[in-house]
Amino acid sequence: MAAPVYRKATLVSRKENPKGYFHLVIREEQIAQTAGPGQFVMVRGWHTGDPILPRPFDIVLADPLKGVFRLCIKVEGKGTRLLSTLKKGSSLYVTGPLGKSITEFDSSGTALLVRGAGAAAVVFLAETLTKLKKPVFTILSASTKSRLVCRALLEEFSNDVFIATDDGTEGYHGNGTDILDQLITEGKVDTVYTCGSHRFARHVKALDLAGKVKGYLFLEGYMGCGMGDCHGCAVKKDGEDGYFLVCMDGPVFRSRTVVVDS
Amino acid sequence: MRVSPDLSVEIAGVPFPNPVMPASGAYEVDEIHDNFFSPSELGAVINKTIFLHPRPGNPPPRIWETPCGMLNAIGIPCDGAEAFIWDKLPNLRKLGPPVVVSIAGETMEEWIELSELIESTGMADLLELNLSCPNLSDGIPWSTEEKTLERVVSAVVSRVKLPVIAKLSPVVTDIADMARTAEGAGASALSMINTYKGMAIDIKRKRPVLGNVTGGLSGPAIRPLAVWAVYSAYETVKIPIIGMGGIDGPTAAIEFLLAGASAVAVGMYNFIDPFTMKKTIEGIRTYLLEEGYSSVREIIGMAHTRA
Repeated sequence: MAAPVYRKATLVSRKENPKGYFHLVIREEQIAQTAGPGQFVMVRGWHTGDPILPRPFDIVLADPLKGVFRLCIKVEGKGTRLLSTLKKGSSLYVTGPLGKSITEFDSSGTALLVRGAGAAAVVFLAETLTKLKKPVFTILSASTKSRLVCRALLEEFSNDVFIATDDGTEGYHGNGTDILDQLITEGKVDTVYTCGSHRFARHVKALDLAGKVKGYLFLEGYMGCGMGDCHGCAVKKDGEDGYFLVCMDGPVFRSRTVVVDS
Repeated sequence: MRVSPDLSVEIAGVPFPNPVMPASGAYEVDEIHDNFFSPSELGAVINKTIFLHPRPGNPPPRIWETPCGMLNAIGIPCDGAEAFIWDKLPNLRKLGPPVVVSIAGETMEEWIELSELIESTGMADLLELNLSCPNLSDGIPWSTEEKTLERVVSAVVSRVKLPVIAKLSPVVTDIADMARTAEGAGASALSMINTYKGMAIDIKRKRPVLGNVTGGLSGPAIRPLAVWAVYSAYETVKIPIIGMGGIDGPTAAIEFLLAGASAVAVGMYNFIDPFTMKKTIEGIRTYLLEEGYSSVREIIGMAHTRA
């Protein structure tokens, strides 16, 4: 895996979709050329002391030919608010690609069970699996229709996209895990990746432990550096003492190896 | 043609090619860092503090951003001394710069055993005693009580030939007193300062943010406090000081040198810009050229000179 670079990069475009979520396309050729599914970047778009630390974001897609990659950020605090207001052509400081890239694609059918901003994490994987002609079934969940994230991209890179909303404004009115269970029963998927919901993570882990699927979790953590220096992003190991670091050992983990917070 | 200024300094008889090194626990030497700059360019290298036995570290959340700084409560996870000596120390040794090995003990016996073990490897040039981590649950005040500080430093010094650096906590009434105590106990140098104990509270959950409740504050927020600590200790002790606390580049590093530090360490800013230490080395060189000094040693403690 290529070692990360730290570069001044350029914001090529910025688009809000849906409200509160911003898609940033950033030009940095080396990152675009070496990034793989599951990897992330640390981004700083400010010279201030507050905020001071760079922020981690999953790489949504990378285009090695154009030398650009895309992020999708949810405006939550000071850092994401600043990033969401950057003008086209602005400079950002980016370290990446970071974390372990997903390299096993031997499943006969993969389900991507995602909610909210967690949808951004699996787009790259969906694209990779589609290029390899592996079946991809995406279950895209949100509280309501207007909060469905990365929908168009996931529709492009999935054999099927199932929508589930808590309020029934679109698609299945209920829990996305019901759709997953149905896909498993039908024998369509043997591997599941999930991101964006502790409830989903617990469900996938239970399926993994029961031997019904290979379950994987995209995890996040408070992260200072993204490259193993600060030891901040700890996640508890399951079945043994100690912690993994999300940045170095993940961010994608086999679900049975980590403790999922309640 | 102007001659490039001499950046070399000496810490406890050990020559450093330049005065910039990482702070312990804030920079790893591994392949992840290959594309940044070579750690062989540093003034010295140092490990994340090790204990004799493996430790898991603290439960998350372990870090929290604050204005111009961050709180950390990592809790010094480590694989233990044996793993360090086999897996990591040889990699530090082969880089070229002097190797500072940062250690901590949970008991007096452990301090001594670990010091002797590190010395026996022949791969360390200096031993830094991390007497001041604010995040350890046992809360042993190794460097906040003069008698305890005196006891641990003198015990280690009496058992090893390696020069000993005492890393001091700023959470004391007068750090100059602690500096003098460490010097009196036989320390060959001081690292000043470790983090300040602090906390943050989540107003929605109405609970402390960090898994450990409290953490150590670092970053530019603490820099003026750290500069003062170095300045006040410099007036009191004769042993060299490695200054640290919120160094984000050459300007801050030079402040510490002028305050009396013979070398400086970069901590949190390695997370923000992995080139910070390299930029700091280059910036010190430029400053010396512009100000007309032939050696960095000329400016150490210069802020104390009365007009």
